[in-house]
Amino acid sequence: MSLPTDFGPDSGGRLKGVCIIKPIVYGNIARYFGKKREEDGHTHQWTVYVKPYNNEDISCYVKKVHFKLHESYANQNRIVVKPPYEISETGWGEFEIVIKIHFHDPNERPVTVYHILKLFPSGGTMDIGMEQGKGLLSESYDEIVFQDPTQLMHHLLTNTKQLTLGRWEHNTNFEEKKEKTLKSITDAKQKVKKEIAVLKNRLKLARETISQFKDEIAKLQDGQFA
Amino acid sequence: MADVRDIMELEHPSQEVTRESIIGSDKQKKRPPPPTKTQKRPEGMHREVFALLYNDSKDVSPLFPSDTGHGYKQTKIKLGMRKPRKWKWMQFTNPARTDGTIFYHWRRPSDEPKEYPFAKFNKKVDVVTYTDAEYQQHLRVDGWSKEETDHMIELAQRFDLRFILMADRYDTEKFPKRSVEDIKDRYYKICGVMSKLKGEKKIYTYDVDHEKRRKEQLKKLYDRTQEQIEEEQFLMLELKKIEARKKERERKTQDLQKLISQADNQTETPKKADKKIPKKKLANPSRPSRVDTTHIFQVVETAGIKFPDYKNSGVSLRSQRMKLPANVGQKKSKGIEQLLQEMGLELNPIPTEEICQHFNELRSDMVLLMEIKSALSTCEYELQSLRHQYEAVNPGRTLTIPPQLLSNLELDNKVGGGEIIDVVGSPSTPTS
Repeated sequence: MSLPTDFGPDSGGRLKGVCIIKPIVYGNIARYFGKKREEDGHTHQWTVYVKPYNNEDISCYVKKVHFKLHESYANQNRIVVKPPYEISETGWGEFEIVIKIHFHDPNERPVTVYHILKLFPSGGTMDIGMEQGKGLLSESYDEIVFQDPTQLMHHLLTNTKQLTLGRWEHNTNFEEKKEKTLKSITDAKQKVKKEIAVLKNRLKLARETISQFKDEIAKLQDGQFA
Repeated sequence: MADVRDIMELEHPSQEVTRESIIGSDKQKKRPPPPTKTQKRPEGMHREVFALLYNDSKDVSPLFPSDTGHGYKQTKIKLGMRKPRKWKWMQFTNPARTDGTIFYHWRRPSDEPKEYPFAKFNKKVDVVTYTDAEYQQHLRVDGWSKEETDHMIELAQRFDLRFILMADRYDTEKFPKRSVEDIKDRYYKICGVMSKLKGEKKIYTYDVDHEKRRKEQLKKLYDRTQEQIEEEQFLMLELKKIEARKKERERKTQDLQKLISQADNQTETPKKADKKIPKKKLANPSRPSRVDTTHIFQVVETAGIKFPDYKNSGVSLRSQRMKLPANVGQKKSKGIEQLLQEMGLELNPIPTEEICQHFNELRSDMVLLMEIKSALSTCEYELQSLRHQYEAVNPGRTLTIPPQLLSNLELDNKVGGGEIIDVVGSPSTPTS
């Protein structure tokens, strides 16, 4: 990596108004052994990973990725300094993995994502057609937002290389998911707004009726005392 | 400084304000602190105990050793070497007594024979007196004969104005029965007349009626039966409840106006309003409120969600922006969750910028919706109670509540199905 000399690690100056977004995908794949392993009771082999959503080499700006596993694993803090950013292990249980992504510029704080390691099929998992449904996948999409990056970071973020010359694909069709989600949310918004409008009118009517009732009662009472 | 003086129309200070006049001369400040007196540790005192007497700056403590040089060890009890003095059974008279009876008590013969020390506690009350002429001239009252008045004054002297006793020992064979108040009234009236005659300026009066009423009330209070006491407590509790409900309803009706105006913004100009409302919310708390702060705050907090701006420099995850702020209560977030589930939406949708924005706006609207709903049910309750009130005042007639209001909750429940309307756990019950 060749860097211009004027960006020291503590050059500090931030580029105001610049915002760079780096989408990522994180998750795990898991494969069932088919039976419980005799020596340690493990049932699955799994791999937890962080990878770029777009076809680019994130090692340009990612210094290291820290995976924190369950405390029952020997050496629960695993640090990966170069791609692929992944950890493979065997086990028998699901747990939350804390994934902390550190950047080359120490002025940018690391970001943390949380992933529940999935071994057993459930609503959020996907069959990846491996050996009669023995493999499954659970992954999520997120975006790292670099607001006003430092000069050094900006340089690193904008000078990434392609990861592969071939197609860079994901198991999950996130584009389709994005579209669907957006549509359902905007639909819901419309619905709620409509209902707010209806209820608002009702509320107005209610208020008017209340004051009307109050007037009636006041009139009656006046009549009584007069 | 000058501006303030102009506004306040104060005279300008004759002397120029200088740095010295404000701060004071530097010389005084710079004088070194007086050398601290060091104190010697008393012999026999433990170092740790001694250290407690001093603070860090080594100031002399406010405590001072009282017996330096002797240490703390008691040598021996010093017993007196004098001869014991004698006590003697001696006679004395009490000057308070008029009959000169002789009593005996133990006393030291060495003490000088003095007057009986407790005689000084023998106090006599000055009871008003009058002459026949005075009585005939000034003190004649209907209902009191001279004989009875004399009897009363005699009793006053005998019992030192203890009116309770006087009333008790009153000669009811000769005179009519008199209450404490009657006796007091007569006595103090005489006092007043006599002191007026003597030319005293300050004349005290005794308010019989007030005193009688006061005692009557106390008697009534004392004579209540257990059931009456319980009923009263029950009624007090009910009153408190009614007042609390009334307050609550008033508060909610006040909130309504706010909600309606917010709903107006939200529905009529949806795109603009979405951006406007958060700003308003920001501005409101900092501004001192003119009306009742708690109400405004509640409305501001309740109608919609204020998501924090992510304008700070640095790295963040998009998904963080969809987290509900900490000020959104559990009840609300539960309500949102339920609404989302009913509409078939994910609780954590895929976080792109657009989705993030819409999702947050959606949830903000949801909170507003829930608020309006609870306001509506408050209204409905109010309408019902107003109607009852009307019916109570004017039996046989009633007020008609518009059907779409009356059936608000029931209708929702029926249509509810998969729709968004019914919110369990929303603050929809106005009283409970």
